Amino acid sequence: MEQLELLITFLALLCFLLGSGTWVGFTLVALAAVAIEFFAHRSAGAPVATTLWSSSSSWMLSSLPMFVWMGDILFRTRLSEDLFRGLAPIMGRIPGGLLHTNVMGCTIFGSVSGSSAATLTTVGQMTVPELKKRNYPEHLVIGTLAGPATLGLMIPPSIIMIVYGVMTNESIAAINIAGILPGFVLAALFTLYVVVISKTDPSYKPLEEPRTTWREKLSAAWLLIPVHVLLFIVLGSMFAGIATATESAAMGVAGALGLAWWQGTLTWHNFVESLMGATRTSAMIALILAGSAALTLAMGYTGLPNDLAQWVASLNLSAYGLLMALLVLYLILGCFLDGISCVVLTIGIVEPMVRQAGIDMVWFGIFVVLVVELAQITPPVGFNLFVLQSMTGHNIFRIARWSLPMFLIMFIMVFIMIEFPGLATWLPSLMLPVTAQ
Amino acid sequence: MADRAAGSTKTHALDGLWSRLDKLYLYSGYLAAFCLVMIFLTTMLQVVSRLSGKNITGLTDYAGYFMAASAFLAFAHTFNHGAHIRIELFMSMMGRFRIVAEWFSFIVAVLITGWLTWFAWSMVYWSWKLNDISQGLDATPIWIPQLSMAIGLTILAISVLDHTLRLILTGDHRLPASPDAL
Repeated sequence: MEQLELLITFLALLCFLLGSGTWVGFTLVALAAVAIEFFAHRSAGAPVATTLWSSSSSWMLSSLPMFVWMGDILFRTRLSEDLFRGLAPIMGRIPGGLLHTNVMGCTIFGSVSGSSAATLTTVGQMTVPELKKRNYPEHLVIGTLAGPATLGLMIPPSIIMIVYGVMTNESIAAINIAGILPGFVLAALFTLYVVVISKTDPSYKPLEEPRTTWREKLSAAWLLIPVHVLLFIVLGSMFAGIATATESAAMGVAGALGLAWWQGTLTWHNFVESLMGATRTSAMIALILAGSAALTLAMGYTGLPNDLAQWVASLNLSAYGLLMALLVLYLILGCFLDGISCVVLTIGIVEPMVRQAGIDMVWFGIFVVLVVELAQITPPVGFNLFVLQSMTGHNIFRIARWSLPMFLIMFIMVFIMIEFPGLATWLPSLMLPVTAQ
Repeated sequence: MADRAAGSTKTHALDGLWSRLDKLYLYSGYLAAFCLVMIFLTTMLQVVSRLSGKNITGLTDYAGYFMAASAFLAFAHTFNHGAHIRIELFMSMMGRFRIVAEWFSFIVAVLITGWLTWFAWSMVYWSWKLNDISQGLDATPIWIPQLSMAIGLTILAISVLDHTLRLILTGDHRLPASPDAL
């Protein structure tokens, strides 16, 4: 009975604080304080302070600023310009034409950047004006941008996966590697959609692209090679067990700095801007992570997550039923919260249930990321919809309607993941452990 | 920081103090950025030392301390940039009552950061008093790295209080709308 009271108090307080605009990190700490003081009847200050310290001073967490910084440096190189110039000659004449630059651009940039809004902005700024100029129908241009941009979350290195790994104590390297195959399958589905829609949509009448020779195609592709080599080394070193996630990320930073220097974009101004940007982004994430660590501690005192897990277990839901319930939960949460806050807020409670149901935690990480991706383009509040709104000036619901096919594709992908769990678990199972350490 | 002051045309008697405080947040942000570079250097040193077969112990612990310092020291600067995540959806629907929600959320933030700052200093004090040594291989007296948390949270509390004052005095907290949120 007391647990029910606790749960209701919690949800009410949570909704009230978040809804009134209280910062997510502070909200989590406030909840933790209330839970420990009033429900566990202990003094909250000292344990919360100690938890903030131990959760922030972790070696595991330090891969976060490194990956963020790597992305920030690459972001300031010529990559985003090269992306369109490199892809356009290759994609120009296949069915679907330059719409593929949206999907491919997001796939490539998503692997560089760990966030979906950054992917959307960068790729969209290059492709949207060019595609409009070439008479591609706007609903397809916007639609094929909104969906694939969420690949930024799925294709490693991904910030949200680092957050998930830190919270569940699973290997950050394994989760990132697990994202590769589902990311590619999803990209392939988007590509397939572009091909089909180009044959069936009557409004699809783009201007013909000029013929390009193989030589031109190759020299265009050449623009994109350096960054791929870098990513291959970063992911490869994690996969082969040569380096831990943080070490791979640090090497990625070194490589990105080298690349920027080689391209002549490594000015002092760019260096400082990338560094400060990365510092702010990782501090922003560190604050909500610290808050969630405090909340997890508080939850431990109250025993609520375990009781909830017991309760869910007593319902005798199948693993499938549990996943469906969680799918609905995340879709609703994703309407109001960004992806990382969704994960941070729920994992403490959800983790025991999922473990009890015997679901693989690495697989579940990919599932959560996919569902959170889906929520990015769900109205009324999807972060990608907001970004597209400010970019194109269209109404958010119109953009949501244009993105609906992408939403359906990703929805199907959720069930593909459930049907073929190996998509996520196979690659990590081949990984070699890091020997030293 | 100058660009933000330029955005608001009204001047205020406390503008001098506020620009000085903005500098404090910025410099603490620079210090945080320095710590981020130190994470990079420590980690690279770790890679190099392992490849050369000479394992230097305790490096991962140092990287962790720099991680904490980089985060805590950057909190105020990040706050000042409007980059900490909050949900503005409902606030923007409240129209002219938005100010009520602003008041409320700032007061909660003042209470939370003040409370955390107090207990962070208390934690550092007890670590020093009891001569707590890190459990890792580095054997550092733990109060030294913990100082970054106490100092960072203090500056964060100052900046939250500062912006609350700006809200009370000018009706505008002068935080930019989240520019580089995810």
